Amino acid sequence: MSREEEIKKGLFDHTLVGEADEVVELTQEGIDLGMDPLDILFGALIPSLQEVGRLFEIGEYFVPEMLVAARAMQGAMALLRPLLVDKGAEPIGKVVMLTVKGDVHDIGKNLCNIMLEGEGFEIVDLGVNVKPEEVVAAVQEHQPQLLGFSAFLTTTMPFFKSNLAALSEAGLRDSVKVMVGGAPVTPEYADSVGADGFAPDASAAVRLAKKLMVDMGYDVSMGGDDSEGASALTTAVQAVEELMVKSGKHDE
Amino acid sequence: MEQMTSKQRFLAGLYGDPVDRPPAASIVSVITYELMDITGAHFPHANIEPEPMATLAAGAHEVMGFDSVMPIFSIAQEATALGCQVDWSDTDMMPNPTDSPWADRDVEIKLPDGFPDSFLEDKYVKCAIDAIRLLKQHFGDEVMVLGKVMGPWTLSYHCYNTQEFLFDTIMDPDRVRKSLETLAPVPLAYAAAQIEAGADAIVWADHATGDLVRNTMYRDYLLPHHQELIPQVEAPVILHCCGKTLDRVQYFSEAGFTCYHFESANPPDEMVEKAAGKMKLTGNVNNPVTLYARGPDEARAEAQAAIDAGVDIIAPECAVPLQAPVANLQAIVQTCKDNRHQ
Repeated sequence: MSREEEIKKGLFDHTLVGEADEVVELTQEGIDLGMDPLDILFGALIPSLQEVGRLFEIGEYFVPEMLVAARAMQGAMALLRPLLVDKGAEPIGKVVMLTVKGDVHDIGKNLCNIMLEGEGFEIVDLGVNVKPEEVVAAVQEHQPQLLGFSAFLTTTMPFFKSNLAALSEAGLRDSVKVMVGGAPVTPEYADSVGADGFAPDASAAVRLAKKLMVDMGYDVSMGGDDSEGASALTTAVQAVEELMVKSGKHDE
Repeated sequence: MEQMTSKQRFLAGLYGDPVDRPPAASIVSVITYELMDITGAHFPHANIEPEPMATLAAGAHEVMGFDSVMPIFSIAQEATALGCQVDWSDTDMMPNPTDSPWADRDVEIKLPDGFPDSFLEDKYVKCAIDAIRLLKQHFGDEVMVLGKVMGPWTLSYHCYNTQEFLFDTIMDPDRVRKSLETLAPVPLAYAAAQIEAGADAIVWADHATGDLVRNTMYRDYLLPHHQELIPQVEAPVILHCCGKTLDRVQYFSEAGFTCYHFESANPPDEMVEKAAGKMKLTGNVNNPVTLYARGPDEARAEAQAAIDAGVDIIAPECAVPLQAPVANLQAIVQTCKDNRHQ
């Protein structure tokens, strides 16, 4: 195994368990050896984050493990960012994300943002406690292909329906596909309120988002072209940094 | 069997004694917009003034027929008194903490000066205590009056910031332990005041749920606190923890709780099997799909499934969506009445 391959394996493994110092050291070594930043990202960091998502899906990881993995990746991103050259490629789609009115829980939404942005989506994050009229205004302003509603409480889940009703009243319902999720949300509930899809976690949200884009006739392939890769790296960097800013003052 | 009072029935269910029919309970909030209209007690007054709070809580028995009443609808009383920002003015939403005083790591983790007196004199904390007193005066020993407190894990979500707290369970365990140790006296003081005011049992909400953390987090961080705290509460204590919990109910049963209030994410027969002989169970009619979006027939079917599985006290799984129809909640009670023992 070449040193480059060892570095990529090390980045994958250390990101997986949130060992931030090791991730930073290996990233710096890779850069010093002249490794392609895109190879570091798509050959190690993003696959590791995807593995984190998979482990969460099967119940081996929980939210704290996802948070520390994101932090470890953040350290690598700080080094990679100056090396980026954004070639102006378009994102594969735009998603407006929010936590519904009355609900201030945003961890799940933030993790979805990271995974979606890592896959090349542009995210407009409206934050928490977002009222139906603010959802309508955001759709009018940003014209996304996708909308993501998150609710962590059974008392706030009904606002999925309120948001959808507000979109219908504004004549916007058919302009956007709506994904819903959150700890108490079920596929049946998503169906009952008229959502276009349900995702139980961040990895599933990525698959759902891509499926909905394909259903609408969009091309969601990426990664084979440097310009698209660079754009994805930019958005991934921003997403990880946003999450860590929201999660507190853990910056080294 | 002779007909029991609501309180007799609830207590019998709580202790595993014979009941005339399965108890039906309001464990956490069962209030809805419709119930507000029927009782004439609306938000925000019913969250911040003792009389409308008690009036609305009483509707759980007088309108819906539940065997218990519980006036602390939101999760925000303690948070406010501990320094979190909470908007209590909303007319149609549950109040929620919106910032966390300990999210800034430079801030020392400590209780406010003057605790517990200053805490118990806080406007919103005192309101709930006074509402319990009014309910006790109103119902005497006819209806079970429940109090509710947040345990140190849930209070840490509020005071420390949920994301920050969860992050530190791995990255800074000492700070997590400091938070839990610091907050441990809060539910004890609040529970004691509620019991003094007339609460017959205490609902203890501590959300170390499988939706967020692995079961060993509960075992290693929180179980030792529960084992120390719960025996000090001078009334039966009902644990409330949302989400998937089958993998940790064994630990819950080692903490000293009399009963566990569980959600529909856990099949009732599996939960009964796990808890059999260790603690009583209450739950678990689904809120968002069944009680909110479906009708009385579906609510009845789920209540019956819980009865058939051997759940001791039948209840909605968690705080009911405010938009849920009263008829769906009444269907839970009617199902229990239809299961009257000969």
